[in-house]
Amino acid sequence: MHPTGFSRRDWLRSVSSGFGYMAFAGWSTLASASDAKRSPLAPRAPHFPARARHVIFLCMNGAPSHVDTFDHKPKLAEHDGKPSDRPGRIPGAKLMGSPWRFRQHGASGLWVSELFPRVAAHTDELCVVRSMQTDLPAHPEAYLMLHTGSSQFIRPSLGAWTLYGLGTECDDLPGFIALKPTGRNGGAQNYGSAFLPAACQATRISSEGQPIAQARIGNIRNPRLDLKTQRLQLDLVQAMNRDLLERERVQPGVEGVIESYELAFRMQGKLPEVMDLAGESAATKTLYGLDDPATADFGRQCLLARRFVQAGVRFVELTHGDWDQHRGLKAGHARNARAVDRPIAGLLADLRAHGLLDQTLVIWGGEFGRTPHGQNSDGRDHNNKGFSLWLAGGGARAGLAYGQTDELGYEAVEHPMHVHDLHATILHLLGLDHERLTYRYAGRDMRLTDVKGVVHRGIIA
Amino acid sequence: MTRFAGRPIALVLLVLLLAGRADAQAQARAQGKAQRFPVFDPERIFMMGDADLDGRLSLDEYRDQLRAFPRMRAAANTIEPMFRRLDADHDGFLSLSEYRKVFQRRPGGAPAAALADANRSGPGARSRALTPEQERFFESKVRPVLATHCAKCHSSSAAKLKGGLRVDSREGLLHGGDSGPAIVPNRPDESLLVQAVRYRDDDLRMPPKGKLPDAIIADLESWVRMGAPDPRIGPVAPSPPSVDVARGREFWSFRPPKRSSPPVVKRADWPRGELDRFLLAALEARKLNPVGDAGRARLIRRVTFDLIGLPPMPEEVDAFLRDEAPEAFERVVDRLLASRRFGERWGRHWLDVARFAESSGKTNFTYSHAWRYRDWVIGALNADLPYDRFVREQIAGDLMPAEDDRERASQLIATGFLALGSKAHDAENRGQFLLDVIDEQIEATTRAFLGITVACARCHDHKVDPISQRDYYALAGVFRSTQTCSGTLAGVFPNFNASPLIELPHGAGVPAAVPSLRPEQRASMEERLAALVRERDAIPPGEMNRDRLRRTTSILSMLRYRLALDRPGGLPRAFAMGVCERDEAADSPLYVRGELDQPGEVVPRGLVPVLCDGTPPSIASGSGRRELADWLASRENPLTARVFVNRVWLHLFGRGLVPTPDNLGAAGQPPSHPELLDNLAVVFMADGWSIKRLIRRIVLSRAYGLDSTNDPRNFEADPDNALVWRMSKRRLEAEALRDALLAVAGRLTLEPPVGSPVARTGEGLAMFLRFTGLENSDTHRSVYLPVVRDQVLESMALFDFADPSLVTGERPATTGPAQALYFLNSSFVIRQAEALAERIRPGDGDNAACIDRAYRIALARSPTTGERERALGFLRDFAAKAGGVAAAWSAFCQALLAGAEFRYID
Repeated sequence: MHPTGFSRRDWLRSVSSGFGYMAFAGWSTLASASDAKRSPLAPRAPHFPARARHVIFLCMNGAPSHVDTFDHKPKLAEHDGKPSDRPGRIPGAKLMGSPWRFRQHGASGLWVSELFPRVAAHTDELCVVRSMQTDLPAHPEAYLMLHTGSSQFIRPSLGAWTLYGLGTECDDLPGFIALKPTGRNGGAQNYGSAFLPAACQATRISSEGQPIAQARIGNIRNPRLDLKTQRLQLDLVQAMNRDLLERERVQPGVEGVIESYELAFRMQGKLPEVMDLAGESAATKTLYGLDDPATADFGRQCLLARRFVQAGVRFVELTHGDWDQHRGLKAGHARNARAVDRPIAGLLADLRAHGLLDQTLVIWGGEFGRTPHGQNSDGRDHNNKGFSLWLAGGGARAGLAYGQTDELGYEAVEHPMHVHDLHATILHLLGLDHERLTYRYAGRDMRLTDVKGVVHRGIIA
Repeated sequence: MTRFAGRPIALVLLVLLLAGRADAQAQARAQGKAQRFPVFDPERIFMMGDADLDGRLSLDEYRDQLRAFPRMRAAANTIEPMFRRLDADHDGFLSLSEYRKVFQRRPGGAPAAALADANRSGPGARSRALTPEQERFFESKVRPVLATHCAKCHSSSAAKLKGGLRVDSREGLLHGGDSGPAIVPNRPDESLLVQAVRYRDDDLRMPPKGKLPDAIIADLESWVRMGAPDPRIGPVAPSPPSVDVARGREFWSFRPPKRSSPPVVKRADWPRGELDRFLLAALEARKLNPVGDAGRARLIRRVTFDLIGLPPMPEEVDAFLRDEAPEAFERVVDRLLASRRFGERWGRHWLDVARFAESSGKTNFTYSHAWRYRDWVIGALNADLPYDRFVREQIAGDLMPAEDDRERASQLIATGFLALGSKAHDAENRGQFLLDVIDEQIEATTRAFLGITVACARCHDHKVDPISQRDYYALAGVFRSTQTCSGTLAGVFPNFNASPLIELPHGAGVPAAVPSLRPEQRASMEERLAALVRERDAIPPGEMNRDRLRRTTSILSMLRYRLALDRPGGLPRAFAMGVCERDEAADSPLYVRGELDQPGEVVPRGLVPVLCDGTPPSIASGSGRRELADWLASRENPLTARVFVNRVWLHLFGRGLVPTPDNLGAAGQPPSHPELLDNLAVVFMADGWSIKRLIRRIVLSRAYGLDSTNDPRNFEADPDNALVWRMSKRRLEAEALRDALLAVAGRLTLEPPVGSPVARTGEGLAMFLRFTGLENSDTHRSVYLPVVRDQVLESMALFDFADPSLVTGERPATTGPAQALYFLNSSFVIRQAEALAERIRPGDGDNAACIDRAYRIALARSPTTGERERALGFLRDFAAKAGGVAAAWSAFCQALLAGAEFRYID
């Protein structure tokens, strides 16, 4: 009955504790469409050769100011204090030059402000998109848009689509992990699977405001039994499950249960192990800034991200905020940048050192940018028509400044890249055609990019 | 200055302080967008004062609201006279319409008044009549200019319409074209038309051939300044219909269901009723045979889970196995249908469809009265409320006659269906908020009852179904004329969209959400409130800090709300979420591309034509919800019965006759057995829309009693079991799983709880709620667990609980490692396993008998000899290696619960 003459069931019957999940998952790609349906995380071939196999999304919650970080605007400094011709919701607003100096860095000569001295040392790895656009200058809408491509409807997260498109190669960890996910701005919806199989949603670790060092995973440890004793119990469970399979033969659900127990059993060992940084050298910890209270928390997130990717996790999202400085920009942005600059630089260097950067797409950015004019004397308002975001590794063209805003930084005027375009381009780097990555729901072939999205080939190496 | 003079400003400033978001409006205005729902929305301000959410302001509420503003402290003695003057009907309360007078008092001057005017001049509002002078001015100075210099490119008669602008109607000018509205009444400087003719802006010069004479420009400026009076009221030229309704009605699900006689089958002895004949005929046509009947133990476990969501007790299994009468199974089914557990099981199915939740999602404010709707659904199913009535009450229960207060309350609660959708209460733009609420209501209503999606017609004509954008806005008018009462406190930041609740009649005898305050509790709360007010009032006006004021206002409003939940004398008041009619019904404009600032022609309220036999019923007065409800619940509606019987079939067989239960439109999949679906639908309606009898008919069929084992030949021909050659194995839903764990542990509390933990927490932000402890300790049925959007409880979320923001006819059934970890390690599962271990070991020392009992309780069957031996071996082994007999029994019981057999219905 089975084309190979050897069914999953035959194979399952023969295994007990030394369960080879990888080989097992491999079966799913050979098996029928209905098999694929019940093993949503089995690895799948991309539509075309992928540049990136993993994603690390450094999400800057609250919207960092582009004109103070990666979008150098000399004219803005020149017109500092003059009334803005686009004051938005602040009548009489005045233009405000950046309080930070910009300098060109590296062979590429990219401009980076002094807020990011250490990331600046990696400019030749960065692909800075300075012409980002999103629909609405409001946090919840824009945050959801950035994550799911829709602020209006409940749609799967970029990470969920990635997992759905490529599956996971990791036999003992979840394929999509969100560290310190925000509960605001759409909350869980930003990491959800919506109509995609539930297994595509992020496994959320810790939460906003909780130190990552204190993160605990649900049910990861049995309160009574050690792993060896639990194996005894699990063997009984699996024996019963195999009996059932034997009795009833074709039962995908039962096969799934057997499979999930083995992965779970291994996750118990693996997840705490990956999250335990004790084995990292002091030099590595310093590289990520774990030795400094100001950078330790985000540094730990970055180091965990590297470890997850190293272990094969497909999509990792980290969160840092709050970047929403309507007032207190100088202090707030300085504090935020200080918290993430060294960890990010450490991450880029470490990924490079581990040979992971080429296959890992690192994305840095927030839901929109901030206005060139000031607000509350020392703040900036929301700006959705033009802002910056950067990519590194994973096939993004290194050392490139892509697109431009107008001379003050209000609006993208060259290569405007809407969030839909960004999504299309990210999927492209992952080897996925955003028009072919669809899921049938409510009678439509749904896409991350809805009916929009253009791949910007200019940023692909 | 009149005595009223200070008031609007005081209120406006209050709102500015509390909301702090008026700047958003200013921004939008500066960007040239039409603002027709300003922040100074009287309803928003009204809600800030309505502490008890009953939709009216008492004198105390009014006074509290005004006293928050320092300037009003000085004028405290004028508050009561003002109140009396506003209270036109002298009922001691200000209704919203009475309150609106605050905003209409000062002509022209105060910002609130001006904006209120702007609000009214929006599309859909009736234009005021022109004075003769205005009319003369328009006809002599304006119309000729527009006709001569503009209409060639900017009117319906233009050969090629430029820039999307039409100047041949008032609406056309107000809506404007691609660059935004052409005129902003009273504001020539902000009117694009004026800017264009002034020829000052290089990019905007009209007419293109040359500047108009200064006198004409001055006339146009004056005209706009006087409010752009324009007699040319009427819709802009309607868009041509792109939807062919007559052809659309040809689609299978839009034609009325027909009764047909069941086909002749070869195995005439197999079918038990006509339902079976349809199924068997389809199998025979493919030369397939159904598998054998399920064993009786398996059957009783299946039907017990299916009907009441719990495992059968061993005695029930024994009784059924012993009962050799032909109607033994019928007796089981009738017992289950009569059980109060039935409504808890099937009510939950409906709650998935109704996207029931106890919070708003997004910013996530609690909906602390939503549980009444949950209980209404459970009660309706237990009482076998006919489905047509079930539908009607949810859409228009408030408009239906009631025999007494109890029935009245029940019908009001039913309308909660429309009020409890997901909402962005922090939306700054009130107009956008209202449109989004309407959209959500249209989506929920059409998908839940009709199994079609109308909501995509918000922005364009439906791509696949014959539903036009006009149809959408016809329906939108119905909901626009409906007041959605979702509650939430306006004083809690950042809630800019609170609304009243519906107070239930006193005589209804409905339970209170929270027990009344004891006198000493009340006293201490009142004291705290007074102290807070004193503290706030002591702050000099100059030092009123926004954050501090927000905090104080939040606490004050929560305190006031809690105090207001008890009547004087201590008896609790009862509220519900729901809907009622707005003071005035209004049609909705068709928003181009669904955008708020692109209103087009006004569409009369109405129903979806393609689903109406002949001309859709017209809506003469009121919102039209009554007509909508009648039409949804009508036997003429081709979809309603089909959609529902399909939902029921899905829950009993694991797959709908139409596999896309929420989409029976062209984008859905066609039915596997169209005649069977039609027959079930027709009989369902003819049988008084009885849900229980529908279920009974189906579970008494031979098909329902089929075994779930495999048959290679059938499997090859029909792997998805669409033809029902066997019973599909189904994973238990999250609730059934948790309930079953509690049940086999002997720890399930069957008596339903009163209210909900969310109700006991009260109003506020749901992000502060933590129910993890409750989830692990509560022993009530899982349908009564709190449902907070975006914070679904672990034991529910892990097993594919329906996203409570979406209409969900069918849940996925995933299997993943997190579920396995839950069974292996969660303290909840371990505790139930320990309880089961205690239950089966009365201390008689007969291990084999204990194992038998465990199997019978957990799996409704006895173990095989091999299983018994293996269990005994495990117990010995585990006790020896892991220390202790008791631990071994617990581990064994946990293994039984963790196994696939426990988690599936065969």
